[in-house]
Amino acid sequence: MPLAYALPSNLSPATVANTSSLLRIIALSLISGAAIASRLFAVINFESIIHEFDPWFNYRATRVLAEKGFYEFWNWFDPTAWYPLGRVVGGTIYPGLMATSGVIYNVLHALHLPVDIRNICVLLAPGFSALTAWSTYMFTKEMKDESAGLLAAAFIGIAPGYISRSVAGSYDNEAIAIFLLMFTFYCWIKALKTGSAFFGTLTALFYFYMVAAWGGYAFITNMIPLHALTLILMGRFSSRLYVAYSSWYAIGTLASMQVPFVGFQPVRTSEHMAALGVFGLLQIVAFAELVRTHVSSKHFQSILYGSVIVIGVLGALAFAGLTYKGWIAPWTGRFYSLWDTGYAKKYIPIIASVSEHQPTAWPSFFMDLQFLIFIFPAGVVLCFRELRDEHVFVIIYAVVASYFAGVMVRLMLTLTPVVCVAAAVAFSSLLDTYVDPVEPNVSNGAAPSAEADAAADSPASIPSTGSGATPTAPSKKAKKAVSADSSSSGLASGIVAAISPSGKGDKPRGIFGLDTRALVLVNALGMLLFFVLHCTYVTSSAYSSPSVVLASTNPDGSQHIIDDFREAYYWLRQNTPKDAVVMSWWDYGYQIAGMADRPTLVDNNTWNNTHIATVGKAMSSSEEVAYPILRKHDVDYVLVIFGGLIGYSGDDINKFLWMVRIAQGVWPDEIQEPNYFTPKGEYRIDDAAPPAMKNSLMYKMSYYRFADLFGGNQAVDRVRGQQVPKQGPTLDHLDEAFTSENWIVRIYQVKKEDPLGRDLKSANAFEQGKKRKKTKPLVRRKAVV
Amino acid sequence: MRFLRTLLLPLVALASLAVARSSTGDSILVLLDPSLQRDNFSIFFGDLEKQGYKLTFRSPKETEPQIIKDDVAQFAHVIVFAPDTKSYASDITPQTLVSLLNKNTNLLLALSTKQTPLTSLASEFSLILPPPGTPLISHFPQRDTPATVIPVEPPRSNAVLSPNLAPVWFSGVPQALGLNPMLVPLLKAPAQSFASDADSDSGADALVEAAEKGGEGLWAGSQLSLVTGFQALNNGRATWVGGVDMFTDEFFNKEVAKGKPSGNRQFARDVTAWTFQESNVLRIDTVEHHRVNETLPRETYTINDRVTYTAYISKYNPELDLWEPYSGIKDMQLEFTMLDPHIRTALLPVPGEPGKYSVTFRVPDRHGVFKFVVDYKRKGSTYLESTTVVPVVPPRHDEYPRFLSAAWPYYVGAFSTSAAFVIFVALWLGGDERELKKNKGSKAE
Repeated sequence: MPLAYALPSNLSPATVANTSSLLRIIALSLISGAAIASRLFAVINFESIIHEFDPWFNYRATRVLAEKGFYEFWNWFDPTAWYPLGRVVGGTIYPGLMATSGVIYNVLHALHLPVDIRNICVLLAPGFSALTAWSTYMFTKEMKDESAGLLAAAFIGIAPGYISRSVAGSYDNEAIAIFLLMFTFYCWIKALKTGSAFFGTLTALFYFYMVAAWGGYAFITNMIPLHALTLILMGRFSSRLYVAYSSWYAIGTLASMQVPFVGFQPVRTSEHMAALGVFGLLQIVAFAELVRTHVSSKHFQSILYGSVIVIGVLGALAFAGLTYKGWIAPWTGRFYSLWDTGYAKKYIPIIASVSEHQPTAWPSFFMDLQFLIFIFPAGVVLCFRELRDEHVFVIIYAVVASYFAGVMVRLMLTLTPVVCVAAAVAFSSLLDTYVDPVEPNVSNGAAPSAEADAAADSPASIPSTGSGATPTAPSKKAKKAVSADSSSSGLASGIVAAISPSGKGDKPRGIFGLDTRALVLVNALGMLLFFVLHCTYVTSSAYSSPSVVLASTNPDGSQHIIDDFREAYYWLRQNTPKDAVVMSWWDYGYQIAGMADRPTLVDNNTWNNTHIATVGKAMSSSEEVAYPILRKHDVDYVLVIFGGLIGYSGDDINKFLWMVRIAQGVWPDEIQEPNYFTPKGEYRIDDAAPPAMKNSLMYKMSYYRFADLFGGNQAVDRVRGQQVPKQGPTLDHLDEAFTSENWIVRIYQVKKEDPLGRDLKSANAFEQGKKRKKTKPLVRRKAVV
Repeated sequence: MRFLRTLLLPLVALASLAVARSSTGDSILVLLDPSLQRDNFSIFFGDLEKQGYKLTFRSPKETEPQIIKDDVAQFAHVIVFAPDTKSYASDITPQTLVSLLNKNTNLLLALSTKQTPLTSLASEFSLILPPPGTPLISHFPQRDTPATVIPVEPPRSNAVLSPNLAPVWFSGVPQALGLNPMLVPLLKAPAQSFASDADSDSGADALVEAAEKGGEGLWAGSQLSLVTGFQALNNGRATWVGGVDMFTDEFFNKEVAKGKPSGNRQFARDVTAWTFQESNVLRIDTVEHHRVNETLPRETYTINDRVTYTAYISKYNPELDLWEPYSGIKDMQLEFTMLDPHIRTALLPVPGEPGKYSVTFRVPDRHGVFKFVVDYKRKGSTYLESTTVVPVVPPRHDEYPRFLSAAWPYYVGAFSTSAAFVIFVALWLGGDERELKKNKGSKAE
């Protein structure tokens, strides 16, 4: 820790250390408080409610865990999901999140604190964000020093890129995963630095926790081997690396295989092969090192070359062969879409249809990270100045995460920690440099040129190497300060050196005077201040909406709550039999299961493309085609989201093309996307809508009786901004059962078969008193004898 | 419990001895057109009353008594003997008649050659009527009655009619049958008969013409039905009679041959018994399912479990007014379905246990929400449908086999590595010490 000003000499070093650690603890707890507090907007503005879609499932699963215990949860087969296929929940989820909440729940109840499981779920993410801040502090401390750590902790505490996934109520895997990610990385760095098997094992344990918590664990699975590989290639193989990596890989892999959902993937899928390969390579390299100590160097060279080539060829062949034989699963679609952003749209519409899998728009980088995003490269560059093993890690992490964040919106989440770390390193270097009161060497300023050549060699080169900070300055005060100077301060002045014109070092470098310092520092503090304001604003306005409850503003500025979703789900819960199957697009599956407690056909766990395509087909084909599908799947109610009345743009008509596309993927002969566009290629719902569109179940359910609402005036869909035909669609096979206040949720009941065996269309026509056409006896070509 | 019931119920039934009762109720509303004299049907109505039915008569144009009150059907059965009535009171429309059937009220409807609301209703039941004014005509066999009054030989074997029924006098319109599988033809037209304009009897030319076209558009021959039953999906029964005359006293008493009375009376009895759900009425009392060697049903079954499914079926006995166990079904099937039937197997009666049908099978190796489905639909008898939903789950974590022979390499690997580690540690520590000693020794030297 660089000491800017000399401490009073009557203080014992212990006092100094204690005071600074007390200050750090206070700072960290304040940061934790800020991190938790800024995530409570959703609870304050709305209520303590689970947000969005996936969290509803996690919440439901957690309730099962809390009520029935871990083993029941482990063996939980949910017959209400993916009706009638059912879902083996225990084997298809990452249980880390639920287990965490369950443990907290049980601990609190053991302490006689009867906390509702919902509140634990709602507040888990803010709670863990405090831990994330702490682990980021630990991680950054390894990179630079404690002050950088504190800055990084403060950054990650309030950076919107992380808040977006961890506000109160956003009960998703990411809520705990980022903490685990950072802590695993911290343990890894620590293990690598010390070569300690203990920390390697700790890395493995937290890696296991991460595997149990989030599918994104593959990021760690590949980051650590990549780091290790880079170190080997840089010629930095050491027994520390060997111990750290081997203990992590062996224990971590065995542990991760205990998660049922992961199972044998770590030895069977391509995503995990890098870790295995590097593990093997490490053994070879270690063996080579051993051989080298016993064999003369010439022999060793030839042995090395021969063996490297043979092993490399053998390894590649084995990998290819195993993949070909099917022992190793080839890359999955989700993985391909990371490399080719157009891949998913072409081949797996179901992945592309998820909004968080879209490529990131550049403004969102600024929105999520604000000024960190342009400090971040500086921090990465600073890592190069010193380039210890852990700095290599940060550099790799930065490069990889930047790429992924650009490919997929949701991976912004993995970028945020490294941005915070790198930005904190850069920012703290800046502060170190400018807060440090040491004036550059100008003592010989009267006749600088005389000494210039002599001095030029040493002082100019000192800051750049940074290691040997041998002071040559005659000033005693400066001498004291510089000798206390650690590498980082040298680093910082290094930047200054790099920035300033690199003419021959005939002028002394550094910062002169208080005004320059004040200028930069005020500027820097201003950036920090605006960062806080920005984060608070973004968090409160953009990331704190539960999306189950919508808010709009009345003309007088007061808040108006639109609660159609819960209204409709509670209607289902109260008015339908317990086993009534509800069909909806998969986005709402978890919510229906969570809030309405009814079986659903498809939900957000999109494991069965065909089943989803079946729903898509039912939605996008005519009633006559859809009805047998509905009956076959025992569907009692169909639920659609319709935003046309109040202008809720995330409705099913806007998602409709994805249903068509996904259905087309399975039934290309029956559903064709072009049929749903006008000949000019427009997507329309007004009079000019194509027949396939007008006859589709989705269109009919959305606009059924919509025109009546306007009392003879022209009906207008406020989302599409188009005029709806006055003669609305009619429904023969469905009955309108419920429509919510703002028409966002519309529920239809599927009619039973006609008791007289007629098709429902003619049964309906009969009910309305329409005459049937006269028929003749059926033709029988052969005379009946 | 079941024993008790079999003991008790005959005692109760003794009270109503020799009276056949419907399984759905005794009240009958007769919509009788005033032009048809009630006395003309005295035997028919008298027989019904003798059976224990309570008849209420109402003219089609009256409004009382109501058929449906507060959405509840007021009568168990409705007889519509108003073949020529063109306009009914407002509460009787084809739609209300269909809704009556949907409320499990049985209907007996008579048609005539005239175009009435019932004619359009008939087409909803997939009956295709000839044009107005074309009754069924047959010139065979030779007889002294008009050509429109025809003795019809009842079918030899029919689940609904009594065996060895004498020929039945018929006069009215035939119906061609559509493809609806719920139709139960009770009386077919004679092969020589055809529907034609009776007055001019000039239909012969048309007949020849149509015959040349291969019989297209022809109301003729034995594919026509004269009395057609219809059993809706909810087991409500409706019977369409081509002409109301066959229930008159005149036809009842008319002889088909010298000294041989017509079968009309018995036929009417059989038809009403079927229509009013006295005969051929079955039901599934209960279904049970459990694992082999257990007795109670499970909430879920595990894949590859052996499961026994049992259904208890009763048949209604109209004489005793009680449900008796019935083991007469030989062709019933059980399906174990998830989207598609994964298992379809015969569900046969258990010998020695009346009314019990049971089958044991292995649950497929597929988890999901399965249904035990019994779907027994035969013409003339009640549809038996039963669906029981039961999830089939994969084995629990502790239900898998504990040791796998295929995993022996892994067991050996794990244990040998452990053993090797122990040996290695022992050697390492031991070896070190010796070296130390040597070193010490050398130092000492």
